[in-house]
Amino acid sequence: MSTTCECETKPTLAMATIPKQKWCEPYDLCTALSEGTIFPSLNLTFFKAPQGDTNLTCYYESASKDQQEREKALSKITEVSFALNDLTLYLDTHPTCESGLTLFHTLMEERLTLLADYAKNYYPLTQASMITGDCNPNHYGWGEGPAPWEGACI
Amino acid sequence: MFAYEKRLQFPIKIKNTNPNIAKLIISQYGGPDGELSASMRYLAQRYSMPYKKVGGLLTDIGVEELNHMEMICAMVYQLTRDLTEEQVKTAGFDAYYIDHTKGLFPQAAAGVPFTSLEFQSKGDALTDLYEDLAAEQKARTVYDNLLRVIDDPDVCAPLKFLRAREIVHFQRFGEALEMTKDKLNEHNYYFINPSFDQK
Repeated sequence: MSTTCECETKPTLAMATIPKQKWCEPYDLCTALSEGTIFPSLNLTFFKAPQGDTNLTCYYESASKDQQEREKALSKITEVSFALNDLTLYLDTHPTCESGLTLFHTLMEERLTLLADYAKNYYPLTQASMITGDCNPNHYGWGEGPAPWEGACI
Repeated sequence: MFAYEKRLQFPIKIKNTNPNIAKLIISQYGGPDGELSASMRYLAQRYSMPYKKVGGLLTDIGVEELNHMEMICAMVYQLTRDLTEEQVKTAGFDAYYIDHTKGLFPQAAAGVPFTSLEFQSKGDALTDLYEDLAAEQKARTVYDNLLRVIDDPDVCAPLKFLRAREIVHFQRFGEALEMTKDKLNEHNYYFINPSFDQK
């Protein structure tokens, strides 16, 4: 949980100084999404915020089995993609961190596979996954699936 | 360029209609410290940022703020989509309803419409980064305030997520400030405006 200073510039008058983050072991992907960061050292909580993991998979108990399966697959994509979002900002300021780069490549490969599977089994989330997911070339599927803002409660 | 991915960054699944909460949360769409002004601020500032890595960070954070704007809009939409005529009259949403029905319109909680004055772009690397650090803190404060007054767990989970992102962005802008300082004269960081005086 340390944010030890390893800044390259010396503190000086009339200039803010922020210590550079050091790599720390990231949360598991589900916790990271629920907490809003993959880094425990950056998780500065607020007393009124909900504590512990939230079940983000499916709030609709009445959902059909098919929908629950689909939502589980989408949750996985959300978790992996969010970790990549957070990691991207980390790498923007730590471009030579080996641990960060290794995790980035592992997760990006996983994300591409998940997106292709989702396009194949349900509908495409990205246009590229219409190709990687081997979707029927004679069928334009881009408009399929619920609008993201509907909460998939259909 | 931007390309759409057909999902939200964080799932929004709100069961209960609540126009009162919608009226508060809409501030993070079109209010002074909302996600729309955050996104536009960073995406505007990057052009005059003299250091490529910092411009790249502004791009990545600016795009993430667009994702957050989409989440906030989805929350307002889901909190009001099943609104009844009775709820319109009694739940404090009447004034908004008269002007916009259930349409999404960027405004602050107090009804002030979005204005571009809210995204600052000063054309000075240090000034802009300080603006960004302050902006993240202001947005964090708004999320703290929202979490204090809202109890619905379907709403609090995404609010907690968005609040955490403000803190991460603050750290990254702090690191961008250090990267900028590395390029300047440490005996007088203000000697030049690196966005204008030296290419």
